[in-house]
Amino acid sequence: MPINLKEERDPELVKQIVEVGGEDLLKCYQCGTCVADCPTGIADEPLSVKRLIHIAKLGLAEVLIEDESPWMCVTCTGCEERCPREARPFEIVLAIRRWQCLEDETYIPQALTEIYERGHTQNVVNPMREELDLPEIKTVATREDLLEKFRQLLRETRVVKEHGYMFGIMEG
Amino acid sequence: MKIGLFLGCNMPALRPDVEKGIRVSLASLGVEIVDLEGAACCPAYGTFWSADEEAALAVGAWNYSIAEKMGVDMVVQCGSCYSTLKMSRHKLINGKLQEINEKYLSKVGAKYEGKSDTKHITDFLYNTIGVDKIKSSLKYTMKGLKAVVQVPCHTIRPSKILGFDDPENPQVLKELTRALGAEVPTFTRDKQCCGGAGGYARHNRGAALEFLKLKLDSMKEEVDPDCIVVSCITCLMWMDEAQEEMRKLGMIDYSIPVFDYNQLLAICQGHDPQKVARIAATPRDEVIAKILENKV
Repeated sequence: MPINLKEERDPELVKQIVEVGGEDLLKCYQCGTCVADCPTGIADEPLSVKRLIHIAKLGLAEVLIEDESPWMCVTCTGCEERCPREARPFEIVLAIRRWQCLEDETYIPQALTEIYERGHTQNVVNPMREELDLPEIKTVATREDLLEKFRQLLRETRVVKEHGYMFGIMEG
Repeated sequence: MKIGLFLGCNMPALRPDVEKGIRVSLASLGVEIVDLEGAACCPAYGTFWSADEEAALAVGAWNYSIAEKMGVDMVVQCGSCYSTLKMSRHKLINGKLQEINEKYLSKVGAKYEGKSDTKHITDFLYNTIGVDKIKSSLKYTMKGLKAVVQVPCHTIRPSKILGFDDPENPQVLKELTRALGAEVPTFTRDKQCCGGAGGYARHNRGAALEFLKLKLDSMKEEVDPDCIVVSCITCLMWMDEAQEEMRKLGMIDYSIPVFDYNQLLAICQGHDPQKVARIAATPRDEVIAKILENKV
């Protein structure tokens, strides 16, 4: 998608990304090491941290909110390791995801509610355990009292407080 | 020696045979495994880290508080769990610890003092146990077998935060595999990521498959290995299951078995392959049969 410079600019955008963890964004000098190294490079629309940073610096909030490429990140952190400016591109990917979640809650991953529900992203009690002579799982998945404590901890977090209904928490 | 085994989510949910392989192979090396009572998701980068970093740190600290209370460091196989647990600890001990304890852990009567740490299982096997002890625990070897390794990205980068190996030329998993008697050749795309983690395959499956194919073609053409050795649940499931998908799609016409390192170690130690290496989309029977012919 080409960048349209006539688009409305939000001068606060960079500051907002910095606030949610992208503090090294301003170190980027657009060399493209992060792009050259990215496993998504062969995709039709690759994840380009370089481009995302450019969009943020231009203040193109409307473009950034529509861009789902940060969610394609493999989390291999090759960019993080090799960035010559130590701009921490992987942290910037996560920061942009967080900003998107703040701007549009439909970005909040479903997996958060799974973790709230059972402490894990999925059911970890595989029925094959018995056949394999594996001991009982002792995580929150089988410890109701500890799971409740874990949920209590999560209820203290901003994302759960602000989006309680997503987690099945009723107001009041 | 006592360690806390951090299970994560994918391994117990989808590949409990890997968990079995880890438990029995570590026991054969004299390691005592403690189960972390009340542990939860690490949490993965695609979850709380992507929405609320403080929440991610709170969950990480919750897991550490359990290990610390039990007086153990955690050992973990999943690359993603390893990376996020190390990242949590890094951010906690470099400034956020007190705040996270006060705002979150204290509300549920928990506390993390920053003592308990995490080790990736390959780091633990290589640097704590050592290859000599591994070699002396073997009843069978991989002699005559050619194995390539898939070093999990999450265990080598960012090296300043979580590294224990050369990030540009990692050797630990290769040395561990050589300790089992296998030949470990290199090839052009040796160091390429598998592409299985994060949101790549979910957002653009075709590209993620093409990306893996680059690596598989390179190893097949250049070294034609008997198997791939990994030490990360995502590398294992992706490289094994995506191969089957690519065969069905006509993208590849070969098949390279994939093992978790501890599955091979356990088989070489004489543990039952039906228990430690039961689940696979790409058949592994030939490799297992060959190992069982090589009695020490």
